[in-house]
Amino acid sequence: MADPPARPVKGRRSKVEGGSARAADRGLHATPPGPLGGSHARPDASAKVAGLTRYVGDLALPGMLHAALATSRVASARIRSLDTRAALAVPDVVAVLTAADVPGQNSIGAVFGDQPLLVTDRVRMVGDRLALVAARTPEAAWIAARAVRADLEAIPGVHDPVAALDEGSPTVHDGGNLFRTLRVVKGKIDSRRSKATVIVEAEYHVGGQDHAYLEPQGCLAIPEGRDRLTIVASCQCPFYIQHAVAKVLGLPLAAVRVEQAPTGGGFGGKEDYPSEPAACAALLAWHTGRPVRLLFHRELDLQVTTKRHAMVVRHRWGADAKGKLQFAEVETFMDAGAYAGLSTVVAERANVSCIGPYAVPAVDVKTHVVYTNNLFGGAYRGFGAPQVTWAAEATIDKLARELGLDPLEMRRRNALDGMARTLCTGQKLVGPVLAREVLESATRMADWDAFRASRPQGSDRLRYGMGISLVLYGCNLHWGGQQLDRSSAVVILQPDGSVIVRVGLTDMGQGNLTAAQTIAAQALGVAPAAVQVWQPDTTTVGDSGPTVASRGSQMSGMAILDAVARLRTRLDPVAAELLGCAAEEVELGGGFATVRGQADRRVTVATVAAEMASRRLECIATGWYRTTPREFDSETGQGDPYEFYAMACHVARVAVDPELGLVTVEEVSAAHDVGRTIHRQALEGQIQGGIVQAMGWGVTEALHLRDGVLVNPNFTDYIIPTAADAPNINIAVLESDGPGGPYGAKGIGEPAFIPTAAAIRNAVCDALGLEIDTLPLTPPTVVAALGDRHPLAWVLEKSR
Amino acid sequence: MAERVSVTFTLNGERRTFTVAAGRRLLDLLRDDAGLSGTKEGCGAGECGACTVLLDGRPVTSCLVLAASVEGRSVVTVEGLGGASGALHPFQRALVEKGGVQCGFCTPGVAVTGAAILAQGISEPGERARLLSGNLCRCTGYSKIFEALEAAREGSNG
Repeated sequence: MADPPARPVKGRRSKVEGGSARAADRGLHATPPGPLGGSHARPDASAKVAGLTRYVGDLALPGMLHAALATSRVASARIRSLDTRAALAVPDVVAVLTAADVPGQNSIGAVFGDQPLLVTDRVRMVGDRLALVAARTPEAAWIAARAVRADLEAIPGVHDPVAALDEGSPTVHDGGNLFRTLRVVKGKIDSRRSKATVIVEAEYHVGGQDHAYLEPQGCLAIPEGRDRLTIVASCQCPFYIQHAVAKVLGLPLAAVRVEQAPTGGGFGGKEDYPSEPAACAALLAWHTGRPVRLLFHRELDLQVTTKRHAMVVRHRWGADAKGKLQFAEVETFMDAGAYAGLSTVVAERANVSCIGPYAVPAVDVKTHVVYTNNLFGGAYRGFGAPQVTWAAEATIDKLARELGLDPLEMRRRNALDGMARTLCTGQKLVGPVLAREVLESATRMADWDAFRASRPQGSDRLRYGMGISLVLYGCNLHWGGQQLDRSSAVVILQPDGSVIVRVGLTDMGQGNLTAAQTIAAQALGVAPAAVQVWQPDTTTVGDSGPTVASRGSQMSGMAILDAVARLRTRLDPVAAELLGCAAEEVELGGGFATVRGQADRRVTVATVAAEMASRRLECIATGWYRTTPREFDSETGQGDPYEFYAMACHVARVAVDPELGLVTVEEVSAAHDVGRTIHRQALEGQIQGGIVQAMGWGVTEALHLRDGVLVNPNFTDYIIPTAADAPNINIAVLESDGPGGPYGAKGIGEPAFIPTAAAIRNAVCDALGLEIDTLPLTPPTVVAALGDRHPLAWVLEKSR
Repeated sequence: MAERVSVTFTLNGERRTFTVAAGRRLLDLLRDDAGLSGTKEGCGAGECGACTVLLDGRPVTSCLVLAASVEGRSVVTVEGLGGASGALHPFQRALVEKGGVQCGFCTPGVAVTGAAILAQGISEPGERARLLSGNLCRCTGYSKIFEALEAAREGSNG
């Protein structure tokens, strides 16, 4: 593919700033011409638009059975007895299994052993599995699942993460409801408090979110003889499933093969959770000796899968008269739900992200992970950071208002930069620190100053506002997950010059296949179309950890570059021989091997590949990458939690109808420090998609839980943004040299999400001249915040 | 055994007859009986639009249509959008070119609705957004879907 210009995209009322010049032209990580930073067609797109991509629900095998789950519809109960006879009597039912049928360990927790695959004596949340059914038709399976009779004795539950810590609160597990407390302790709060002229205290109630991927959870388990099996799953983390299934079935890891099916969205919801349906299907397949497919229907998916953690965040922050932050105290109560899941891991990110990209001399952070009988929290894009960011950015605005400062100026005075590089964890940032640059860029695109100078009044009743959110994002896994932070790739050069690439990280829609293809093509100097990246499969590459934390492109890319480097130890000498030069002089680019500095002396990569094949040389290479080991003190939260960081700033412009409490997000301007662009279109797609998904969380997506039961488990009552709600989006991409992944690239999936809702909140508060400390900003929340200032408050007043 | 009925209709330009249970959904007929698995089930309640097909040229959610009710009518699925040649519809090509595809699960429904919008010649952005609002997409934020719609319209005009 010939060097596509990374030109601005003329979107639907969109404009794009920055990044329009190729990074290479600006001397950044100089690379030969290639697909890097361009927008060639995604390799998976043409099959997807034609409806030819086979998701797990499109796969069927002869003799395949259909699975269903019998789950608890109450959140807290003792199980007196379980009766599966009626379920077994349903025609076409083949098997009904309970905990007694688990051959290995009846335990499915991602990190801790507190969650059974099938419950035996105690129900702790809605969705706890009582029994599994396999039948010849899906209808029979679900009818049978409903026929499983559980004699349950209700036990008082607890549904509030703060109340759960009260003396005498019902306990979810032995050992109490406080599962963990994480800390960040830096500087002396007391001495800094005396320097503060304004202090803001607040309690933020930040709601959860459902992932609402369009493809519900699904998997297919295929017995391979009697001693091993294959799982095909809609998932982000095939290696998690491999471990989970091996544990439940009591099999060696090598006997469990997991292939990732093309996956219809993940956003974290297919990180930890898919291990559960996979273990269920595997258990049924193991017992029946037949392929078993389990597909969730939407209501079940909404009702029982993990959610973004709801949090209560308490703040006491102070600044001096000039607006310089002096101290920040944060106490967060994370609603983990009934099982630990990934909550402690989510807490690690929340804990060190809650101060944002600001220089604060004294910090005291407590992050509590609390059991309740609510649906359990899990991974969700941003991983704890969006909630604490929402609180931090609200407090920054409140301090600015107290001081009579412009919120932009308040951030300018406190943002980290080349001089102030030290995070709340004591880590010193390396390389360019672009907090101010993204701040200036986003506010410039939004016309911040002009908006504030002449705010639209309008002849209508709408009120307009603008808000900023500035974010520091730790790339890759936190220190606590370092043992998982490695990746594997396999590159096979075919005799015709085409290339097979396998990586251990998955594409769930975000574009990892595209990124891996781009990076491999760039490194091998071939066209993207020559590179075929196949679906991840645990038997073809090494355990590469989870595809999370915006690490997919980075970690795949680094392993691919390592594999290509190894392949070139065999390729370059052959090319050199054909070219009549030294191996060190061989360069790859544009489909050719050339002599460095002499572009006319060239031979196609395909010719070199054919020559390698004819000489029976090893045309396959593996690649491996692991992140740099870091030090971190988990008692004080001091050290280097992440390897490197990305900055992001979003500015939202909203219109609020105060009578209806209705928030319309008109425009979001997003500036991102991306290190280096791998694929321009995919990068923009992440930013646009992240913004709209975060807008949903911030404005409409209320999870209504009543006694732990989700009472709005459908897309009529759980409202995710539609095409008619999408705001105008402006994007600025800032590239820079500094620590990063392949060619200097940093992750984008999560930084695209984290700032938006806070910027919207600040814009709504700006429009209405009040503070709202509850997310989402649904009409009832906005109307309640208006109180006596609601346009129709006089009606209520009169009726009193 | 549930009562079975015979239904004959035009499916992607071809006259086809199926014998189905009276309560069978058009979505299941398409996916399981006709083997056209491009049409997806995202919610089963007419909310998400992943199962959108054209019924006599109008986009409908096939999870809410009884198979037996399409007797004598014309159904076009994502597989048939480009016509008998098997080529891609201009909007499908534009979705590829403009990056309007991420996970792809909503894409068949989006492609069908977009094709209907283009066929009706609707170019007013607000009206297009309203018509597309029946197709939920969780990945793209819709920006590049709109770009693709505009590109396909320009392409067909020029």
